[in-house]
Amino acid sequence: MSLKSEELTSGTKTEPAAHSVDLRKTYGTGQATVHALAGVSVSFERGRFTAVMGPSGSGKSTLMQCMAALDRPTSGQSFVGGLDIGDLDDAGLTQLRRDRIGFVFQYFNLIPTLTASENITLPAALAGRKVSQEWLGYLVGQLGIADRLTHHPGELSGGQQQRVACARALINKPDLVVADEPTGNLDSSSSADLLAFLRQSVTELGQSIVMVTHDPRSAAYADRVIFLADGAVVSELEKPTADSILERMRTLGT
Amino acid sequence: MRNVTLKGMLAHKLRLALTALAIVLGVTFISGTFVLTDTLHNTFSVLFGSVYQNIDFVVRGDPQLGSSGANAVRNELPTSLQATVSRVPGVAAAEGEVEGYAQFVARDGKPIGTGGAPALGLNFDTDQQLSSLHIIAGGPPVTGDDVVMDAGTASKYDFTVGQQVRVLLAGAPRTFTISGIAEFGSAGNLAGASLAAFTLPTAQSVLQEPGQFDDISVVTAPGSSKPAVQRAIAAVLPAGVQVVTGQTVMNENTAAISQDLSLFSTALLVFAFISLFVGGFTIFNTFSITVGQRTRELALLRIVGASRRQVFRSVLAEAAITGLVSSIIGLGLGVLAALGLEALLRGFGITLPTGSLVFEPRTVLVGLAVGVGVTMVAAIGPARNAVRIPPIAALSDRQADGGVSLRRRFTGGAAVALAGVVLLALGLAKPAIALVGVGAVSIFIGVAMLSPAIARPLSSVIGRPLAQLLKEPGQLGRDNSMRSPRRTAQTASALMIGLALVAAMSVFGASLSKSATSSADQAISAGLIVTASGTGELSDSVPATVSAVPGVTASTTVYSGQFEVRNSLVTLKAVSVAHLADTLILRMTAGTSATLGRGELLVDSTTATSKHLSVGDTVPVTFARTGSSTERIGGIYQANALIGSYLVSAGFFTSHFSSQPPAALLLSTNGSGTADNNVTNALAAYPNVQVQTRAQFEKAQTASVNQLLGLVYALLALAVLIALIGIVNTLMLSVFERTREIGLLRAVGMKRRQVRTMIRSEAVILAIFGAIIGIIIGTGMGIALVSSLKHQGITDIVVPASSLVIFFVLAALLGLVAASWPARRAARLDILTAIAAQ
Repeated sequence: MSLKSEELTSGTKTEPAAHSVDLRKTYGTGQATVHALAGVSVSFERGRFTAVMGPSGSGKSTLMQCMAALDRPTSGQSFVGGLDIGDLDDAGLTQLRRDRIGFVFQYFNLIPTLTASENITLPAALAGRKVSQEWLGYLVGQLGIADRLTHHPGELSGGQQQRVACARALINKPDLVVADEPTGNLDSSSSADLLAFLRQSVTELGQSIVMVTHDPRSAAYADRVIFLADGAVVSELEKPTADSILERMRTLGT
Repeated sequence: MRNVTLKGMLAHKLRLALTALAIVLGVTFISGTFVLTDTLHNTFSVLFGSVYQNIDFVVRGDPQLGSSGANAVRNELPTSLQATVSRVPGVAAAEGEVEGYAQFVARDGKPIGTGGAPALGLNFDTDQQLSSLHIIAGGPPVTGDDVVMDAGTASKYDFTVGQQVRVLLAGAPRTFTISGIAEFGSAGNLAGASLAAFTLPTAQSVLQEPGQFDDISVVTAPGSSKPAVQRAIAAVLPAGVQVVTGQTVMNENTAAISQDLSLFSTALLVFAFISLFVGGFTIFNTFSITVGQRTRELALLRIVGASRRQVFRSVLAEAAITGLVSSIIGLGLGVLAALGLEALLRGFGITLPTGSLVFEPRTVLVGLAVGVGVTMVAAIGPARNAVRIPPIAALSDRQADGGVSLRRRFTGGAAVALAGVVLLALGLAKPAIALVGVGAVSIFIGVAMLSPAIARPLSSVIGRPLAQLLKEPGQLGRDNSMRSPRRTAQTASALMIGLALVAAMSVFGASLSKSATSSADQAISAGLIVTASGTGELSDSVPATVSAVPGVTASTTVYSGQFEVRNSLVTLKAVSVAHLADTLILRMTAGTSATLGRGELLVDSTTATSKHLSVGDTVPVTFARTGSSTERIGGIYQANALIGSYLVSAGFFTSHFSSQPPAALLLSTNGSGTADNNVTNALAAYPNVQVQTRAQFEKAQTASVNQLLGLVYALLALAVLIALIGIVNTLMLSVFERTREIGLLRAVGMKRRQVRTMIRSEAVILAIFGAIIGIIIGTGMGIALVSSLKHQGITDIVVPASSLVIFFVLAALLGLVAASWPARRAARLDILTAIAAQ
């Protein structure tokens, strides 16, 4: 757990950033049983931008939550950076989320009482670490929020809030950034800016990102799209475009 | 994380302030009590120090009957001992001291009350070195008609040198001329006691100690060795007389005051802790609600990497900071409260001397420890709930229910409540006060845990009439109170405790009054009862005066004193036997009351049973003045609180005690109304005497119980106030939480007035809920308490239904008051902003 972030990014490239083996998640029992995940084995490679798509109830959010140490699967395994999440207790999971995973959600999920800069450095502060000012400066510069750092979330626009959330997700140079419908609440221009930044952080910084979305245009920013339906992976697409995604969706009947 | 906690607190200043208020009040009470009693203690120490600074030794009788210290029973010394002590080498001066009852009469003919302190008569020491009195006007008493008055009384009642003043004494009252005004030590008087100083012969005569001294003060010659002088004095003293240093006497006096003060501060601290206990509930509730409301935020912290420990600590840190800040404020306010408490007590007739306020380090330590401790302990539960919030709760809309299932809570609550009942019963039976306290606390906690189970149905029942009366807003208020049974129950719990204590005290008070009345009914057949009012004493000439009054057919004099039976100190009552049957009812269960005339002892049935005494037994007894002997038990009477446990004849009593004033006089008259007037007129010379019919006597007893009860209610009011702050807090948080909903209601046409009605309905339901449970529990506790005191003379159990109904109605009204602010705030919400709120 004490691995340095440099080791994480420069380490064994053969291993995926995260992967799952026969992941299952069921809710309820008997007649009312719902299989949110019905045996998903998937792998998110390092340094790539993966989009997960699927209709509502296809299990894409559940998959993210189980792979990002937010929820425990009913059976199966999920790994982050080669580490089996199932082996970790709550403290271990917490540390994993803090140091090796970054989160961006649809609702910006910032702490309202903290300023933008305090929100960004929160994971590091929780770990009791100092943040590299250089890295922080680079991130906020790239995201265009350098002049907004002393503002509280309530004083920021939706797009600005989401960029603050992005900076927070990247501050610890995690193995994996999990973005769950990050543009779901943004206008098209803010969406494009955000997606461009995510794309850039993969291309230029070698960051690994997985993003849940149902918008083909957003998914087109990814290197690869995985399609889910009824809790199972039903298709995959490399180097997608908005059109090819729509096309695939049509053939899948979703 | 520290940052998150601090910023979160600053963002919710109102919530913080309301939470803090409960602790501020409790700590204020604690520090106020400490400051007040420390100040009093210091004042008395300084006073005694100034009085005894010049006195090297005091010669006095050995303590009798196992007593010790300042309040010991001591026999008088013969006057001749003064000369003996004076002749001891190294003694510069030795002067005898006499002390007794002497009460001034004001110009309006009323005796000058001392608010509980004694009215002291003493001899004026001619040697100023020995005197505790310092003349500030006029001069010392010279003739037998002179008196020196304390400066306190003189200034308050406007007496000056040369004026006449009437003085009530153990014998017949007399008029004296004020020869001088004096201060006691450095003060106007001794802690409110009035002082009348006479020449030595006069003092010996009017204080009824002819040829005797209570003690002898000694000053040594300069240059002499004090220990040597003390040994030399001891060598000339007869058996049963001791010589101690002035310092020793001063320490004894200070210790006696300390003991009284510590009883006093303990009593006040009990109420302070009750307030803090109730405050603890309020804090628990506030933290529970805020943790619930912050579910998303806390879950988000968990997602971005806050560990459970960090979340737990952040909630506790919030509690610690709240506790610390409020304790510091409370400590400051405590100084003001000390002044307030003093005023409150003065309002109830207890006067205390004043001095500069004393702020001990202990006050700060205890105040901080208790304030921070209570807040943190109260926050542990909510903090644990916060820890249970899963990270994923940030992503879903479901509110974490937080906490244990109702079933587990129910089992736990029942167990705690039952344990409390058992502890309370054991504590009352023993009796052990600490056990009673722990038992009561357990019952309250247990019931608070149980109450969510009945919150929904009970709120429904309470709210039904409101819904009918107030239509839709009332119905919505009722629905809101039923929506979160846990919150409703927790909020009401604080009020429940306050009202339970109030109800228990009212049952206790009513039973005490009734018992006093019925024991008077059962023990006294006399039509008139003569007693001394206030701190006065009955003159020994009163019995003779009264029995000569036309129309008085029988008169019985009652005395009271202390003696030892089988080496344990008990109270002994005595009655004159001549007309006993016409004034006193003794229900003999064995033997006969006629044996009183033969100097035999009567005991009551309870004592006879517990000490295994029966008629014809002889028991070893000891009197302070006459020493040890044996007494034969002549009869056993049915126990009665007014008569007491041991009874002898007045003749026997006076031969074993020196100059005890009568405690009371029981008179039977021929029934004509003029007889009563004649008695009153005959006693006109004794303004410190009150003549009451039996009904008046009983009423006076009830009145004094009610006065005590009033003081207790006033002290409990703080706990009730804190409970109300809890209701305000909960409602504010609810209004905040339901901003959207209220906006929606307003959008679909609810008027502002209706919004207010809705919030008020909810508050009234909360208050009534707490009141019902509290009154039921309190009544139960009161009955338990009263039952356990059966042998202490509380024989009747009375549940004062009318008082309980009044408390109930008051609680509902207070609920309405508590709602006014939250209701206004809710009504003021802007519709659009409210709907837009997240």
